[in-house]
Amino acid sequence: MALTLGSLPKGHRFPPVEFALSPKWVREYIAAVEDAAIGPAGDALVPPMAVAALSVRALLEQAGLPPGAIHLGQELTFSRALHTGERLTAEAAVASRGERQDWVLMGVELAVRDAAGRPVMAGRATLTFPAGGGGS
Amino acid sequence: MPSQRDVTLKTGVELGPVVKALTQAKIDRYARAGGDGNPLHTDPEFAAQTQFGGTVAHGMLVLAYLSEMLTAAFGEAWLAGGRLKVRFRAPARPGDTVTAAGRVVRSEGGGTVCEVECRNQRGEVLVSGEAEVSA
Repeated sequence: MALTLGSLPKGHRFPPVEFALSPKWVREYIAAVEDAAIGPAGDALVPPMAVAALSVRALLEQAGLPPGAIHLGQELTFSRALHTGERLTAEAAVASRGERQDWVLMGVELAVRDAAGRPVMAGRATLTFPAGGGGS
Repeated sequence: MPSQRDVTLKTGVELGPVVKALTQAKIDRYARAGGDGNPLHTDPEFAAQTQFGGTVAHGMLVLAYLSEMLTAAFGEAWLAGGRLKVRFRAPARPGDTVTAAGRVVRSEGGGTVCEVECRNQRGEVLVSGEAEVSA
């Protein structure tokens, strides 16, 4: 992947990405984060952070993080509980971009909808990374 | 499944903490699941050359600990109507014991607002912010 977030201007909109909350992946996520509150319930509920993580993963397949990128802040809003097997669509845009002392400060807004087009999650990540590390 | 809890907890109520021992293996596992192979998290040689001097956990991994605490406290109300706004204050590193904690600061409009944070075993704040759960 040649494209990284570092090369994207303010206003850049990522193409929508579709993905599924596959039971296998959700199990892997729950194991990775050791979520004891939702895991044993076993009724196919998905941790909301899993949706955020999978959305971010789908977007990173379009434009990777520059080496050394640092996550400064995060806002997330969850609109409904999700279950394994659901298909979702994530959209994102570079909402802000500034540069200070050779570091880029970037805000990326994310919106996730279900198969019916209803919003299920929205958020904004604030990232910083070295200027010039953006790749091509 | 997590049941619908009363989301209008009294001001001052402390949420049950979640405590996790962080290891490089756990960070690597999260990197594979989350598809975030940023070498700051997974490559000790690379990370040693950064301002952090070593690998650090993904911010979203630490937030998962906060979310687990909120799921335990509020059940499906968190999953279906939660809002989280946090800043990352310091890195969580392999070997850290991370404690996610929260306290109700106000109840309004049928919902509850909590101060939330994660600290390491030295009491350093790693993440802090606010969570809101709507009825």
